[in-house]
Amino acid sequence: MPDGSFSHPQQRSFNPYTENGGTILAIAGADFTVIAGDTRQSEGYSIQTRYAPKVFRLTDRAVLAVNGFAADGNMFVKKVKQRLEWYRHAHAKDMPLRAIARLIQTMLYAQRFFPYYVYNILGGIEEDGTGAVYSFDPVGSYEREACRAAGAAQSLVQPFLDNQIYFKNQQAAPGQSHPLHLPLSDVLSIVIDSFTSATERHIEVGDGLEMYVVLAKGRSAQGLEGGRGVQELTTRTDGDRVFVIRRELKKD
Amino acid sequence: MDHFPTNWGRPRNDAQDLYNTYPLHQRPNNTPKDVFADGVQRTQQPIVTGTSILAILYKDGIMMAADTLASYGSLSRFKTIQRLQSVGENTVIGASGDMSDFQYVQSILEELMIEEFTANDQNELGPAEIHEYLSRVYYARRSKMNPLWNSVLVGGKKDGKRFLAYVDLLGTTYSASTLATGYGAYIALPLLRSAVEGREDELTEEQAQKLLTDCMRVLFYRDARSLDKFQIAKVTDEGVVISDPIKLDTTWGFAEKIRGYGPQTQ
Amino acid sequence: MTSIGTGYDLSASTYSPDGRIFQVEYANKAVENSGTVIGLKVKDGIVFAVEKLIHSKLLVPEANKRIQTIDRHIGMATAGYLADGRQIANRARDEASNYRETYRTPPPLTELVTRLRLYVQAYTLYSSVRPFGCSTVIGAIDKNGPSLYVVEPSGIAYGYNGAAVGKGRQLAKTELEKLKLSELTTREAVFEAARIIYLVHDDAKEKEFELEMSWIGDESGGIHLPVPKDLHQEAEQKAKDALENFD
Repeated sequence: MPDGSFSHPQQRSFNPYTENGGTILAIAGADFTVIAGDTRQSEGYSIQTRYAPKVFRLTDRAVLAVNGFAADGNMFVKKVKQRLEWYRHAHAKDMPLRAIARLIQTMLYAQRFFPYYVYNILGGIEEDGTGAVYSFDPVGSYEREACRAAGAAQSLVQPFLDNQIYFKNQQAAPGQSHPLHLPLSDVLSIVIDSFTSATERHIEVGDGLEMYVVLAKGRSAQGLEGGRGVQELTTRTDGDRVFVIRRELKKD
Repeated sequence: MDHFPTNWGRPRNDAQDLYNTYPLHQRPNNTPKDVFADGVQRTQQPIVTGTSILAILYKDGIMMAADTLASYGSLSRFKTIQRLQSVGENTVIGASGDMSDFQYVQSILEELMIEEFTANDQNELGPAEIHEYLSRVYYARRSKMNPLWNSVLVGGKKDGKRFLAYVDLLGTTYSASTLATGYGAYIALPLLRSAVEGREDELTEEQAQKLLTDCMRVLFYRDARSLDKFQIAKVTDEGVVISDPIKLDTTWGFAEKIRGYGPQTQ
Repeated sequence: MTSIGTGYDLSASTYSPDGRIFQVEYANKAVENSGTVIGLKVKDGIVFAVEKLIHSKLLVPEANKRIQTIDRHIGMATAGYLADGRQIANRARDEASNYRETYRTPPPLTELVTRLRLYVQAYTLYSSVRPFGCSTVIGAIDKNGPSLYVVEPSGIAYGYNGAAVGKGRQLAKTELEKLKLSELTTREAVFEAARIIYLVHDDAKEKEFELEMSWIGDESGGIHLPVPKDLHQEAEQKAKDALENFD
């Protein structure tokens, strides 16, 4: 009992972590990848800000989403970007996606005994032109997947993706099989539905949605260019291209 | 590792450590030489504290408010402490939490600003740079498990651009058009948001000042660690102005009618 | 020179038989060859002026400043090797910052000069180093009002009402002595300083020069700042006019 006496020794310790809510998600297509996150940042029941980005463009073909403890997340992104800049100075080209994935593992595991309390999802285009998603745990375990959700509403979104992307618990029509990859428009619809649903059912999700779309070199940007809330971040049209689509989410 | 072979630990001995399971830093004689290392004290809790800070964007710049109280637990220990501080010509910071940590932060900012001044390169740090610097300081200290126990608001206006952002003892940062720390985040922030969000470019100085004063009054009524004396800082194109302490006008007449508070005993 | 070939001038840690340290004297020679630097302590402030010799037309105007800032209220100008002057300025900044950290108050100039001269003097003691090839004119407005010092390569520091080092120091000193320094305002002192620098500059021997001026006074808010552009131009023009009338 903290009765002010010294008969019961007390130990108080500083907790260097907190949890800032929000959710991120990424889905890989055949020749594109969508990486998305909401923009709310919260602590406990308080909304700190309605706009704090969790998704960051790293190169013309790689986008990183971070979720968990925001201070660690921002610092981690800053350090990854710095390493990628050094790589550019040394090799006069951008680091390939799978190399960035391994770099992130190394950087996370280096902090094994004082981890970055951050779930990372890396999305983009591989050197062979395919869409790819890599997901990480806070200490660097990672794998390449077709889709992944993380963060506060992971438990709400991931089962939905399992069903819609991996066709879990779905029976294909007789004589037919499930498609291996979905078209971009379908993927964007699934992403938007995921976030509107998560916003409805999870108090830490909402305010704004940022969806980054990475297109493989040569793929048509039909249906993306000139769309509502769409902005292109790359300046060249003859390589991989990155777009961002911004949407509002409910603010309650 | 150092250059003294006696500190390198014993050579690997298969009989003793068959699979080399000793991590290098645990080898004998390779321990830190600092004899006081076990006795180092770190901040585990704030001692003399300041309560909420409020800040908003408005038409001409940013405005920030803080009362002048520094509490020692529930004791109103220091009643004329200034918790708003200008940093250079374009920035103001306000701190809640541990006041001695804040004084330390003030001193390193003073050192930083002098260093920048002596460089004589016609470049002055603005609010964005000050905030970035503070976020690095706070994050570095939390990463050493030796935090500076504050929540700080940084506001300013430079080259016609307004800036308002938050940083705390964990190194957490964010930016918004209305910000509040401590109890202010629960009590004042909803009032500030409904008055400011979407009207950042219309709110006049008088309206902004009245809004902050009203919120400080609400806080004084409800926050037991607050005071009815506060200061308002504004940063505009004309620079930083921090007001003299302002006394809140408050009404307590209703208290008499509250059962158990006023003269009634039943 | 008597010192050459004797072997007593090879190290700052060796005296000559008649008690001189030639390395320190050589360092003074480096200062004497430099453009003139003057400092004026007047009624309510300090003014520095430097005759910065331009050895190449390719140099960027106003670059390679010879006047440096140590703390908000402390400025200094160096004659001699600029690189050495920068080293001294950096040391002075560290000392000023260190004093502030310890005492939470702006350093008084006497204290700063004491620390700085100990540093400079240490470079006259060892065979492994050479003394600084520069003299430092350092001034401030502190709690005791305006003050001005010169720190020489030997590590000695004197306080002055008006200081001059470098090539034109003799003439500059004579001119400074003519002034009633304690009655001048800082603004008036700027004009006198500019005039003196133009006066001592030897057109025949030297190439181009740039006038560099800074002040600490009520008009600069007690802070060490470059003299404002318009005032600088006005003072420079008046100095040129005075020179023509003088001839």
